[in-house]
Amino acid sequence: MNTPDRKLTPAEIDAFGAELDALRARTVAKLGAEDAKYIRNIVRTVRYTEVAGRALLMAGIFPPAWILGTITLGVSKIIENMELGHNVMHAQYDWMNDPELNGQTYEWDTACTADHWRQTHNYEHHTYTNVMGKDHDIGYGVLRLFPEQKWEPRFLANPIMALLLMTLFQHLLALQSLQLEKLLSGEKTFAEVKEQAKPILKKMRKQIAKDYLLFPALAGPFFPIVFAGNVGANLIRNFWSSAIIFCGHFTEDAEVFPLESLENESRGHWYLRQLKGSSNLEGNKLMHIMSGNLSHQIEHHLFPDVPGRRYAEMSVEVREICKRYGQHYNSKPFFKQLGEVAGRILRHALPSKPSSDKPSSKKPKLVSKKASPVVREEELLAA
Amino acid sequence: MSSPRPVQFLRRAFGPLVEPAVFNFWAREVGSTASRDRVLARVTAKRAESSRAVTLELQPNRHFVGFKAGQHVNLTVEIDGRRVTRSYSLTGVPNAEGSLSLTVQKIEGGQVSAHLFSNLQVGDVVELDAAFGEMTLPETLSAPLLFLAAGSGITPLMSLTRELAQRGMPVETTLIYWARHRADLCFLSELKALAAKEPKFRFLVALTGDAAIGTDELRGRPSSELLASAVASLSSQSVYACGPAGFVEQVETLVAPIARSFQSEAFTPPTFTPAASSQTVTLMLAKSNRVVTVRSGEPLLAALEAQGIKPPSGCRMGICNTCACGKREGLSRNLKNGGENAEPEANLRICVSSAQSDLTLDL
Repeated sequence: MNTPDRKLTPAEIDAFGAELDALRARTVAKLGAEDAKYIRNIVRTVRYTEVAGRALLMAGIFPPAWILGTITLGVSKIIENMELGHNVMHAQYDWMNDPELNGQTYEWDTACTADHWRQTHNYEHHTYTNVMGKDHDIGYGVLRLFPEQKWEPRFLANPIMALLLMTLFQHLLALQSLQLEKLLSGEKTFAEVKEQAKPILKKMRKQIAKDYLLFPALAGPFFPIVFAGNVGANLIRNFWSSAIIFCGHFTEDAEVFPLESLENESRGHWYLRQLKGSSNLEGNKLMHIMSGNLSHQIEHHLFPDVPGRRYAEMSVEVREICKRYGQHYNSKPFFKQLGEVAGRILRHALPSKPSSDKPSSKKPKLVSKKASPVVREEELLAA
Repeated sequence: MSSPRPVQFLRRAFGPLVEPAVFNFWAREVGSTASRDRVLARVTAKRAESSRAVTLELQPNRHFVGFKAGQHVNLTVEIDGRRVTRSYSLTGVPNAEGSLSLTVQKIEGGQVSAHLFSNLQVGDVVELDAAFGEMTLPETLSAPLLFLAAGSGITPLMSLTRELAQRGMPVETTLIYWARHRADLCFLSELKALAAKEPKFRFLVALTGDAAIGTDELRGRPSSELLASAVASLSSQSVYACGPAGFVEQVETLVAPIARSFQSEAFTPPTFTPAASSQTVTLMLAKSNRVVTVRSGEPLLAALEAQGIKPPSGCRMGICNTCACGKREGLSRNLKNGGENAEPEANLRICVSSAQSDLTLDL
């Protein structure tokens, strides 16, 4: 932490929230033809790169075509999953009333079903961001990243689990809503998991059939070459997207919050929690597009349903507002944040305790009973 | 229209392998109106019909299943990045080419009509829904017909008149067409020519702004005297009326008790009186996990829009079903007829419904 956050009075927290609400309203009022054109260009990029990647792989007997095809297909999947799928499913483009860009019905090119994603990500993760016991994205049930998480011997495997998670990201993400770790603790029975897994396994089979059977089969004798290209493309997507996502909430300065922080949480508190739980990645425009604008993780968490392409301009004002209220705005270059995440993965594999001067201490610093209480609906609205 | 055999074969063989969104994208990319699941139509001609109206000729893709004269379609266009839907009457008759025409009158402050009037070009693609509407002609006609049209209310009645002309004008038919000014009248030459050709068809213009000229023009708003001067015995007539809500209410009062039958369609939404109690109720929007508070008695669509939530909507008067969504629980009220319903509903038309208790909606 560069400078400790200033403790805000309840009135200041309300004013902080009001400023962010006003920024949101100003931005939403600007949405129009330009944003529609942008997302349609993203769709176009996804479609053309997919065709180009798959076509190049068909000629994959020539190594340069294989390498280029694998990378192109990987890039296509990254943009589809992140800038298109993730953002559309947040209803960022629902204002367009386009049935193909509808947040409730969009289905993405990854093993995780869109419906499970809308539940675990849009609702649970975005409403209860970094709240212990509520936000399953804190370690996905398999990693220990914060000293506030109870240490168990299985976390000694943290580095291996992290690598495994990154390698098989699309499939493990698909299984996330099953919360398989509850099998270990006995909170769930195998029969329950089996029933819940049905739609997930169906989507997984579909993805596997497409990438590892259909397209390789179309190549006839070159089946193994296309198969390997699809494996490569999925690996590129898995490593990149998991790295971006880890950097969003597991960096050195990211904080977690106890369950009590949700009590009487006002709009302003909710915004503060999103700010303190998220971290941005600095980079150029390509970096922002390739990360689905999750490089602006802070803005995404403050305004999850505002089109990602608007986060860059919003970030200027958010940063300025945070400065005025003395709140740390966690933004660093990608490799710096990634290094910090790796540090957490290694350090908290071993038993660790929250240090008392850390802001992420057990004491719910954000909770102030005097702030205007706000109904839980307001959180849902922002989720 | 059925496709050639090879196309049908390809569709059956490879269709299931390509996602609809992917197919639709590539079809758009090559400039085709083909779509896996949506009714798209290309504008093939555009012509001025009056000083304030244009007629659009449309060629829909294979998903358009046809229409009956007198029906409307919901037409969707994109304006400043947002798709907007409005209902328009089809003015033509079903034909072998499957083409459609509709006539749009530019409304002051009307976003969609202004776009169609000024910006839409030949070659552009619009989206349609299935045709709907009850104001159609029966297979067999016996009683004389009286068509009462005001303003853009001429459009479905023009379609019915064209159908009658095609059927050889089976019964005595009178069309009275109200407008403020002569320059606002659409289809004038076609209607006059038809009246000259068909002895069974009479065409009268009624003007409320300009002075009447000649014997086929009347002056003033609908009245018993005006109608008596136009048709001999009202009691024998099957009456079809279409126009703004005020006009339709007026002719209904005058005609409905006397005429043999009366059917009508109004183009402007009736004004609702809010419920006496202005207490607030809570709407649970189940699909988007939102909770909003509105006043009971307020039309739900308007109340949601006032809070920045924009459910799909079309006619805003309870006929097109675009805004219909499931109601899981709660007491709702139909603002058109005051009827209350405490049962779950698959399709609650939120533009003409209000909440009388907390509601859970599939939005």
